[in-house]
Amino acid sequence: MSEHVLNNIRTRRVVREMTDEAVEREAVETILEAARWAPTGGNLRPIRYVVVEDPETRRLIRLVAPGMFQKAPVLILICINWAIIEQHKLPHTDRTSLIDVGGAAQTMMLAAHAIGLASGPVTSFSKEAIKVILNLPGSYSPEMFICIGHKAEVARAGMRGWKKITWRDLTHWERFDNE
Amino acid sequence: MSENWVLTETEAVELLALLISSARIQMDEPAHYGPLRLLTATERLSAMMLERSSDKSKAFLQDSIERIPEMHMAMSDVETYKDGLDHLCREVAGCLLRHSGAESASP
Ligand SMILES: Cc1cc2nc3c(=O)[nH]c(=O)nc-3n(C[C@H](O)[C@H](O)[C@H](O)COP(=O)(O)O)c2cc1C
Repeated sequence: MSEHVLNNIRTRRVVREMTDEAVEREAVETILEAARWAPTGGNLRPIRYVVVEDPETRRLIRLVAPGMFQKAPVLILICINWAIIEQHKLPHTDRTSLIDVGGAAQTMMLAAHAIGLASGPVTSFSKEAIKVILNLPGSYSPEMFICIGHKAEVARAGMRGWKKITWRDLTHWERFDNE
Repeated sequence: MSENWVLTETEAVELLALLISSARIQMDEPAHYGPLRLLTATERLSAMMLERSSDKSKAFLQDSIERIPEMHMAMSDVETYKDGLDHLCREVAGCLLRHSGAESASP
Protein backbone atom coordinates (compact mmCIF):
# COMPACT_ATOMS: atom_id res chain seq x y z
CA MET A 1 0.00 0.00 0.00
CA SER A 2 1.34 3.41 -0.89
CA GLU A 3 1.11 5.57 2.21
CA HIS A 4 2.67 8.38 0.12
CA VAL A 5 -0.40 8.64 -2.06
CA LEU A 6 -2.79 8.70 0.88
CA ASN A 7 -0.69 11.26 2.69
CA ASN A 8 -0.59 13.42 -0.40
CA ILE A 9 -4.38 13.31 -0.57
CA ARG A 10 -4.75 14.15 3.12
CA THR A 11 -2.29 17.01 3.24
CA ARG A 12 -3.29 18.94 0.08
CA ARG A 13 -5.03 22.19 0.99
CA VAL A 14 -6.27 25.02 -1.19
CA VAL A 15 -3.67 27.79 -1.11
CA ARG A 16 -4.94 31.36 -1.58
CA GLU A 17 -1.72 33.27 -0.89
CA MET A 18 1.17 32.62 -3.26
CA THR A 19 4.60 34.24 -3.82
CA ASP A 20 5.65 35.63 -7.24
CA GLU A 21 8.32 32.94 -7.59
CA ALA A 22 8.07 31.45 -11.08
CA VAL A 23 7.09 27.83 -11.66
CA GLU A 24 9.40 25.81 -13.94
CA ARG A 25 7.96 24.79 -17.31
CA GLU A 26 8.87 21.17 -16.49
CA ALA A 27 6.70 21.26 -13.35
CA VAL A 28 3.74 22.61 -15.33
CA GLU A 29 4.19 19.82 -17.85
CA THR A 30 4.34 17.21 -15.06
CA ILE A 31 0.98 18.48 -13.78
CA LEU A 32 -0.58 18.46 -17.26
CA GLU A 33 0.76 14.99 -17.91
CA ALA A 34 -0.81 13.74 -14.66
CA ALA A 35 -4.17 15.18 -15.79
CA ARG A 36 -3.94 13.17 -18.96
CA TRP A 37 -4.35 10.05 -16.77
CA ALA A 38 -7.54 11.27 -15.07
CA PRO A 39 -10.61 9.16 -15.87
CA THR A 40 -13.01 10.43 -18.54
CA GLY A 41 -16.62 9.40 -19.12
CA GLY A 42 -17.05 7.17 -22.18
CA ASN A 43 -13.34 7.73 -22.86
CA LEU A 44 -14.45 10.81 -24.83
CA ARG A 45 -11.79 13.21 -23.53
CA PRO A 46 -13.73 16.45 -24.03
CA ILE A 47 -11.43 18.33 -21.65
CA ARG A 48 -8.90 20.86 -22.96
CA TYR A 49 -6.37 22.86 -20.95
CA VAL A 50 -5.29 26.44 -21.54
CA VAL A 51 -2.12 27.47 -19.70
CA VAL A 52 -1.64 31.16 -18.93
CA GLU A 53 1.72 32.49 -17.75
CA ASP A 54 1.73 35.96 -19.33
CA PRO A 55 1.53 38.46 -16.42
CA GLU A 56 -0.80 40.97 -18.13
CA THR A 57 -3.26 38.22 -19.19
CA ARG A 58 -3.23 36.84 -15.64
CA ARG A 59 -3.91 40.32 -14.27
CA LEU A 60 -6.89 40.77 -16.60
CA ILE A 61 -8.23 37.33 -15.67
CA ARG A 62 -8.18 38.28 -11.96
CA LEU A 63 -10.29 41.33 -12.74
CA VAL A 64 -13.15 39.15 -13.94
CA ALA A 65 -12.52 36.39 -11.41
CA PRO A 66 -13.61 37.72 -8.01
CA GLY A 67 -13.04 34.25 -6.49
CA MET A 68 -9.36 34.24 -7.49
CA PHE A 69 -7.61 35.49 -4.37
CA GLN A 70 -4.21 34.12 -5.40
CA LYS A 71 -1.78 36.00 -7.63
CA ALA A 72 -0.50 32.73 -9.08
CA PRO A 73 2.37 32.64 -11.60
CA VAL A 74 0.63 29.91 -13.60
CA LEU A 75 -3.06 29.45 -14.35
CA ILE A 76 -4.37 26.28 -15.96
CA LEU A 77 -7.87 26.75 -17.29
CA ILE A 78 -9.89 23.55 -17.64
CA CYS A 79 -12.30 23.83 -20.57
CA ILE A 80 -14.92 21.53 -22.04
CA ASN A 81 -14.70 21.31 -25.81
CA TRP A 82 -18.39 20.86 -26.67
CA ALA A 83 -17.54 20.01 -30.29
CA ILE A 84 -16.37 16.60 -29.03
CA ILE A 85 -19.61 16.06 -27.13
CA GLU A 86 -21.62 17.00 -30.22
CA GLN A 87 -19.60 14.62 -32.38
CA HIS A 88 -20.90 11.83 -30.15
CA LYS A 89 -24.46 13.16 -30.41
CA LEU A 90 -24.72 13.71 -26.67
CA PRO A 91 -27.03 16.47 -25.41
CA HIS A 92 -25.65 19.62 -23.78
CA THR A 93 -27.42 18.58 -20.60
CA ASP A 94 -25.07 15.60 -20.29
CA ARG A 95 -23.15 16.10 -17.04
CA THR A 96 -20.40 13.57 -17.66
CA SER A 97 -17.96 16.19 -18.93
CA LEU A 98 -18.44 18.26 -15.77
CA ILE A 99 -17.52 15.21 -13.74
CA ASP A 100 -14.42 14.94 -15.94
CA VAL A 101 -13.54 18.51 -14.96
CA GLY A 102 -13.60 17.50 -11.28
CA GLY A 103 -11.39 14.48 -11.87
CA ALA A 104 -8.89 16.50 -13.89
CA ALA A 105 -8.84 19.26 -11.27
CA GLN A 106 -8.16 16.96 -8.35
CA THR A 107 -5.53 15.05 -10.33
CA MET A 108 -3.67 18.28 -11.14
CA MET A 109 -3.87 19.58 -7.57
CA LEU A 110 -2.54 16.31 -6.17
CA ALA A 111 0.24 16.24 -8.78
CA ALA A 112 1.19 19.83 -7.87
CA HIS A 113 1.24 18.93 -4.18
CA ALA A 114 3.36 15.85 -4.89
CA ILE A 115 6.07 18.02 -6.49
CA GLY A 116 5.98 20.61 -3.72
CA LEU A 117 3.77 23.22 -5.40
CA ALA A 118 0.69 24.97 -4.07
CA SER A 119 -2.61 25.02 -5.93
CA GLY A 120 -6.14 26.35 -5.71
CA PRO A 121 -9.25 25.83 -7.84
CA VAL A 122 -11.42 28.77 -8.92
CA THR A 123 -14.87 28.64 -10.51
CA SER A 124 -16.01 32.08 -9.35
CA PHE A 125 -15.33 33.98 -12.55
CA SER A 126 -17.39 35.34 -15.42
CA LYS A 127 -17.32 32.70 -18.15
CA GLU A 128 -18.32 35.21 -20.82
CA ALA A 129 -15.56 37.64 -19.85
CA ILE A 130 -12.96 34.84 -19.81
CA LYS A 131 -14.01 33.73 -23.30
CA VAL A 132 -13.32 37.26 -24.54
CA ILE A 133 -10.04 37.76 -22.67
CA LEU A 134 -8.58 34.42 -23.84
CA ASN A 135 -10.24 34.52 -27.27
CA LEU A 136 -11.39 30.93 -26.68
CA PRO A 137 -12.66 28.92 -29.67
CA GLY A 138 -16.46 29.00 -29.84
CA SER A 139 -16.87 25.37 -28.79
CA TYR A 140 -14.82 25.81 -25.58
CA SER A 141 -16.52 26.59 -22.28
CA PRO A 142 -14.19 27.68 -19.46
CA GLU A 143 -15.04 25.66 -16.35
CA MET A 144 -12.35 25.96 -13.71
CA PHE A 145 -8.97 27.58 -13.17
CA ILE A 146 -6.28 25.75 -11.28
CA CYS A 147 -3.87 28.31 -9.84
CA ILE A 148 -0.36 26.94 -9.44
CA GLY A 149 2.49 28.52 -7.51
CA HIS A 150 4.49 28.57 -4.31
CA LYS A 151 2.76 28.95 -0.99
CA ALA A 152 3.38 32.28 0.75
CA GLU A 153 4.06 32.09 4.45
CA VAL A 154 1.47 34.37 6.00
CA ALA A 155 1.01 35.01 9.68
CA ARG A 156 -2.75 35.05 9.17
CA ALA A 157 -4.86 32.30 10.72
CA GLY A 158 -6.61 29.81 8.44
CA MET A 159 -10.38 29.66 7.87
CA ARG A 160 -12.06 29.70 11.24
CA GLY A 161 -15.32 28.38 12.55
CA TRP A 162 -15.94 25.50 10.12
CA LYS A 163 -17.24 22.36 11.78
CA LYS A 164 -14.71 19.53 11.78
CA ILE A 165 -15.98 16.67 9.66
CA THR A 166 -14.88 13.10 9.18
CA TRP A 167 -15.69 10.71 6.38
CA ARG A 168 -18.31 9.14 8.66
CA ASP A 169 -20.34 12.35 8.56
CA LEU A 170 -20.45 12.05 4.78
CA THR A 171 -21.17 8.37 4.35
CA HIS A 172 -24.23 6.17 4.53
CA TRP A 173 -23.90 2.38 4.38
CA GLU A 174 -26.34 0.25 2.39
CA ARG A 175 -30.04 0.94 1.68
CA PHE A 176 -31.80 3.85 3.32
CA ASP A 177 -34.62 2.96 5.71
CA ASN A 178 -38.05 4.37 5.02
CA GLU A 179 -37.97 7.08 7.65
CA MET B 1 -13.38 72.56 -3.85
CA SER B 2 -10.23 71.21 -5.47
CA GLU B 3 -9.80 67.50 -5.08
CA ASN B 4 -7.15 65.09 -6.30
CA TRP B 5 -8.13 62.23 -8.60
CA VAL B 6 -7.27 58.87 -7.08
CA LEU B 7 -8.16 56.53 -9.97
CA THR B 8 -7.10 56.52 -13.59
CA GLU B 9 -9.72 55.72 -16.22
CA THR B 10 -8.13 52.29 -16.72
CA GLU B 11 -8.28 51.54 -13.00
CA ALA B 12 -11.93 52.60 -12.91
CA VAL B 13 -12.71 50.25 -15.82
CA GLU B 14 -10.87 47.47 -13.97
CA LEU B 15 -13.06 48.03 -10.97
CA LEU B 16 -16.16 47.98 -13.19
CA ALA B 17 -15.03 44.61 -14.57
CA LEU B 18 -14.73 43.21 -11.07
CA LEU B 19 -18.11 44.55 -9.94
CA ILE B 20 -19.96 43.37 -13.04
CA SER B 21 -18.35 39.91 -12.88
CA SER B 22 -19.23 39.75 -9.17
CA ALA B 23 -22.87 40.54 -9.95
CA ARG B 24 -22.98 37.74 -12.51
CA ILE B 25 -21.32 35.03 -10.45
CA GLN B 26 -23.47 35.90 -7.45
CA MET B 27 -26.46 34.55 -9.42
CA ASP B 28 -24.92 31.05 -9.16
CA GLU B 29 -23.53 31.24 -5.64
CA PRO B 30 -24.83 31.11 -2.05
CA ALA B 31 -26.30 34.42 -0.82
CA HIS B 32 -23.70 34.75 1.95
CA TYR B 33 -20.99 35.13 -0.73
CA GLY B 34 -22.46 38.57 -1.54
CA PRO B 35 -20.57 40.40 1.23
CA LEU B 36 -17.39 38.54 0.28
CA ARG B 37 -17.56 39.83 -3.30
CA LEU B 38 -18.31 43.38 -2.21
CA LEU B 39 -15.37 43.24 0.20
CA THR B 40 -13.08 41.88 -2.51
CA ALA B 41 -14.02 44.87 -4.67
CA THR B 42 -13.51 47.16 -1.65
CA GLU B 43 -10.07 45.71 -1.11
CA ARG B 44 -9.05 46.21 -4.74
CA LEU B 45 -10.47 49.76 -4.86
CA SER B 46 -8.64 50.64 -1.64
CA ALA B 47 -5.39 49.30 -3.10
CA MET B 48 -5.88 51.34 -6.30
CA MET B 49 -6.70 54.54 -4.38
CA LEU B 50 -4.02 54.30 -1.73
CA GLU B 51 -1.07 55.78 -3.61
CA ARG B 52 -2.83 59.02 -4.60
CA SER B 53 -5.10 59.44 -1.61
CA SER B 54 -4.88 62.29 0.89
CA ASP B 55 -4.33 62.05 4.63
CA LYS B 56 -8.11 62.19 5.05
CA SER B 57 -8.44 58.63 3.76
CA LYS B 58 -4.98 57.07 3.83
CA ALA B 59 -5.13 55.49 7.26
CA PHE B 60 -8.62 54.10 6.61
CA LEU B 61 -7.61 52.65 3.25
CA GLN B 62 -4.55 51.00 4.72
CA ASP B 63 -6.58 49.59 7.58
CA SER B 64 -9.31 48.24 5.28
CA ILE B 65 -6.80 46.58 2.94
CA GLU B 66 -5.16 44.89 5.88
CA ARG B 67 -8.37 43.90 7.60
CA ILE B 68 -10.35 42.48 4.67
CA PRO B 69 -8.36 39.27 3.95
CA GLU B 70 -8.55 38.49 7.68
CA MET B 71 -12.29 39.00 7.62
CA HIS B 72 -12.66 36.50 4.76
CA MET B 73 -11.03 33.90 6.99
CA ALA B 74 -13.75 34.39 9.58
CA MET B 75 -16.60 34.22 7.05
CA SER B 76 -18.20 31.13 8.57
CA ASP B 77 -18.12 32.70 12.03
CA VAL B 78 -21.05 35.00 11.41
CA GLU B 79 -20.77 37.08 14.60
CA THR B 80 -17.06 37.81 14.09
CA TYR B 81 -17.77 38.64 10.46
CA LYS B 82 -20.54 41.05 11.46
CA ASP B 83 -18.28 42.68 14.07
CA GLY B 84 -15.58 43.12 11.42
CA LEU B 85 -18.07 44.71 9.02
CA ASP B 86 -19.44 46.97 11.77
CA HIS B 87 -15.91 48.12 12.55
CA LEU B 88 -15.35 48.88 8.86
CA CYS B 89 -18.67 50.80 8.73
CA ARG B 90 -17.61 52.96 11.68
CA GLU B 91 -14.24 53.61 10.08
CA VAL B 92 -15.71 54.51 6.69
CA ALA B 93 -18.24 56.82 8.38
CA GLY B 94 -15.34 58.60 10.10
CA CYS B 95 -13.61 58.90 6.74
CA LEU B 96 -16.81 60.34 5.23
CA LEU B 97 -16.95 62.99 7.95
CA ARG B 98 -13.32 63.96 7.36
CA HIS B 99 -14.06 64.42 3.66
CA SER B 100 -17.26 66.41 4.16
CA GLY B 101 -15.63 68.74 6.63
CA ALA B 102 -18.49 68.05 9.03
CA GLU B 103 -16.12 66.63 11.65
CA SER B 104 -14.18 69.86 12.12
CA ALA B 105 -17.43 71.88 12.11
CA SER B 106 -19.03 69.88 14.93
CA PRO B 107 -18.62 71.31 18.46
C1 LIG C 1 -16.06 23.03 -7.68
C2 LIG C 1 -15.18 23.87 -6.79
C3 LIG C 1 -15.12 25.24 -6.98
C4 LIG C 1 -14.28 26.03 -6.16
N1 LIG C 1 -14.19 27.37 -6.42
C5 LIG C 1 -13.37 28.13 -5.66
C6 LIG C 1 -13.21 29.53 -5.95
O1 LIG C 1 -13.76 30.07 -6.90
N2 LIG C 1 -12.37 30.24 -5.15
C7 LIG C 1 -11.70 29.67 -4.09
O2 LIG C 1 -10.95 30.38 -3.40
N3 LIG C 1 -11.83 28.34 -3.80
C8 LIG C 1 -12.64 27.57 -4.56
N4 LIG C 1 -12.78 26.21 -4.28
C9 LIG C 1 -12.02 25.63 -3.17
C10 LIG C 1 -12.89 25.26 -1.96
O3 LIG C 1 -13.33 26.43 -1.32
C11 LIG C 1 -12.05 24.36 -1.03
O4 LIG C 1 -11.76 23.15 -1.68
C12 LIG C 1 -12.79 24.04 0.28
O5 LIG C 1 -12.94 25.22 1.03
C13 LIG C 1 -12.05 23.00 1.11
O6 LIG C 1 -10.72 23.38 1.31
P1 LIG C 1 -9.51 22.32 1.08
O7 LIG C 1 -9.62 21.84 -0.33
O8 LIG C 1 -8.25 23.09 1.36
O9 LIG C 1 -9.73 21.23 2.06
C14 LIG C 1 -13.55 25.42 -5.11
C15 LIG C 1 -13.62 24.04 -4.94
C16 LIG C 1 -14.40 23.26 -5.78
C17 LIG C 1 -14.41 21.76 -5.59
